[in-house]
Amino acid sequence: MKTHEVNKSKRPAIIIDDSLEKFKGRNLFPEKLKKANEILAQAGVPDFNKLKK
Amino acid sequence: MNQPKYLCRSGKSFFVFKFTSKGSKGLVEKIVEYTETDFENIYNLGFGDYDQVTDSMNDLSITDNGDSSKVLATVASTVYTFTDEYPSAAILFTGSTPARTRLYRMAITINLAEISQDFVIFGFNSEQNWEHFIVDKSYSAFLVTKRENIYTL
Repeated sequence: MKTHEVNKSKRPAIIIDDSLEKFKGRNLFPEKLKKANEILAQAGVPDFNKLKK
Repeated sequence: MNQPKYLCRSGKSFFVFKFTSKGSKGLVEKIVEYTETDFENIYNLGFGDYDQVTDSMNDLSITDNGDSSKVLATVASTVYTFTDEYPSAAILFTGSTPARTRLYRMAITINLAEISQDFVIFGFNSEQNWEHFIVDKSYSAFLVTKRENIYTL
């Protein structure tokens, strides 16, 4: 286990914990992901070019 | 956000973050997860309580631990770390209830100037379209990406 260096206050202080890799790809919040995919299927992603300021 | 935040644990791929809320109700494990959506470079942000006994998540529980600002600041701070690792990513998030979505909107509003230094943020409006986030307008979801991505995505 090693500590991830953090110099900027906007970032959290982080300890790298390889045991958390077990969660990767598990889709822990399936309802949220389903809703996200529904929104994206319906509206796509924001039109970044159109929305440029 | 330059506010108190909890120390996080993360896997080396930075898709999952875990931290412990400490408050009047005791210690509560929290998980933040970034999950790939069906759209390239768009990730869903999931957040909730982690029950170590059942190895399951709950994004509907009301912890009421008296530290909601610190918890939200910690979750928001993981966006910086995640997008440092995956700079072209856009992150979609929504509350698990309308009240929580409103809470997120208020938090965005309070911190909009600071957020806008690094990110652009969009709201999914009642017309079912994305638009640049407007203060005091209701949205059912939000999407955030690094500022430079509006020219490359």
